Amino acid sequence: MTQSVTSDVAVEVRELTRTFGARKALDKVSFDLPAGAFLSVFGPNGAGKTTLVKVLTTLTAPSKGTAKVSGFDVVADAVELRSRIGLISHNPLLYPDLSAEENLEFFADMYGVPDAEARVRELLVAVELDHRRLDLVRTFSRGMLQRLSIARALLHRPKVLFLDEPYSGLDPHAVEILDNLIAQIRADHTFVMISHDLSKGLALCSHALILAKGKVVLSALREELDEEQFAATYRETVGLGVA
Amino acid sequence: MRQFKAILRKDIVMELRTKEMITSMGIYALLTMVIYQVALSQSGTAFDPRNIAAGLLWLAFVFTSMLGLNRSLVHEKDQGCLEALLLSPVDRPVIFFAKASGNLIFLLIVQVLTIPVFAFLFLQEGSYAGEWWMIPLALFAGAVGISGVGTLLATMSVNTKGKDFVLAVLFVPLMYPLLLAAVSATSAAILGGDGSVQQFWTGMGMMAAFDAIMLLASFALHEFIVGA
Repeated sequence: MTQSVTSDVAVEVRELTRTFGARKALDKVSFDLPAGAFLSVFGPNGAGKTTLVKVLTTLTAPSKGTAKVSGFDVVADAVELRSRIGLISHNPLLYPDLSAEENLEFFADMYGVPDAEARVRELLVAVELDHRRLDLVRTFSRGMLQRLSIARALLHRPKVLFLDEPYSGLDPHAVEILDNLIAQIRADHTFVMISHDLSKGLALCSHALILAKGKVVLSALREELDEEQFAATYRETVGLGVA
Repeated sequence: MRQFKAILRKDIVMELRTKEMITSMGIYALLTMVIYQVALSQSGTAFDPRNIAAGLLWLAFVFTSMLGLNRSLVHEKDQGCLEALLLSPVDRPVIFFAKASGNLIFLLIVQVLTIPVFAFLFLQEGSYAGEWWMIPLALFAGAVGISGVGTLLATMSVNTKGKDFVLAVLFVPLMYPLLLAAVSATSAAILGGDGSVQQFWTGMGMMAAFDAIMLLASFALHEFIVGA
C-alpha cells in the first residue's frame, strides 16, 4: 500500500501504552511534535525512553493507544513509515564483517536509494570516512562507527530522525562531526533525541520532555523553559528510579 | 525482490569472508559421522550399519543445523544489526525468507561436503542398493524444512538468555515429523528393494506437506515474533 501523507505534525502520540508482562514501560503517553522541531527526551534509566523510540520507529508494537509519525500510523502503515525515518542509536547498527562502503550499499539497496553509488560516496565524505571506505567495520573505533552509523541513518533522506543517546561514548572529534551534521540538516528534518546529558539536550532542542516510570512528567517548549526549574524536576525524576 | 536479494547476498558475502557457519557446521557434521563409525565398529559382522545409516545421517544434520542456525541470527544481533534490518521498509516475511534461504544454502553446502564421508564410512563398496537420484531429493526436501522452521525458531530464541537450549527444546519436537519422513525416504534410497520407490515418495510427500505447512506458519508468525 502506497499513499501520500503530508502533515504539519511530525509526531502524534495518543495514550500510548506498552507493557512487558505486568510492567508498564509506557503508560498513556501523549504529545504532539510539529514538523521541523527538535524534541529532547530526558528521564532516568528504565523511564521508557528507549521503548518510546522503539514504538515510534516500528521496532516494537504498542499495547494500547496510537502513534503517528509524518502522518503514518506506526502499526497500520509501518512499511511506508520506515522509509521516512532514520535511527541513530548508541549501537552502530552496522555489520562488522562488511566494509564501510558495503554496509552503506547494503542499506541503500534495502531502502531503494536512487543513484546509490553517488549517495554512498557523498555521505562517506560528509562523515570523513572516505579514506576508510574499503576497511571492515570491525576495525573501526567507536567514534568512526558512530560517524558511519550517522551516514547509514541519512542514506535515504529521512524526514524524521530518532537519536537514541547518539553522543554516548564519542570522542570530541566525533561529537563535533555529529554536531555539524545535525546543524546542516536541522532546518528540514524533525528530531527526537533521547539524552542523559541535560546541557547538550537543552542546547539542541526546541521541545523538551521528561519521562519517568513510563509517564510524561514534563513537556514544554524550550523557549518557555526555566532551565533551573527544569533541572530540578529532572533530578527529582531521576530519584524516582526505574519504572 | 530487491531486498530479498540484498539480504541473501549480504549473508553469502559475510559467510564467504568469515566461513564461520560452514566451517563449524561442516566440522561438527564430519566429527559426528566419525563418532558414529567408532561406536558401531565393534558391533560385529551380523550388524548391517546400512539399516540405521539414514537415521544417523539425519541426526547429524539436525544437530549441525542447530549450531548453524543460532550463529546466523547471532550475526544479526551483533551491534544491533537485526534492528537495522527491521527498520528497513520491507515486509517482515521478506527478511524471513531471505534469512531462511541463506541458511538453506549453507546447509546444502554442508550436506554436499558430508555425503562423501558418510558414504565412505557407512556404505561399503557394492552395498548401496537404492536409486542414486533419490538421495539429493530427500536431502533437499529435509533441508528446506529444517531451514524454514529453524530460522523462525532461531529468531524467537536469539533474544532469550539460554538461546542454545531454547532452540534445541523447540526445534527437535517440531522437527520430529520431518525427521521421520526424511529418514524413511533416505532409507528407501539407500536400501532399495521391493516397495522402496513407494516408501521414498511417501516420505517425500510427507516432507513436502511439512515444508508447506511450516513455511506458511513461519510466514504468518514472523511479523508477530520480531515485533513482540
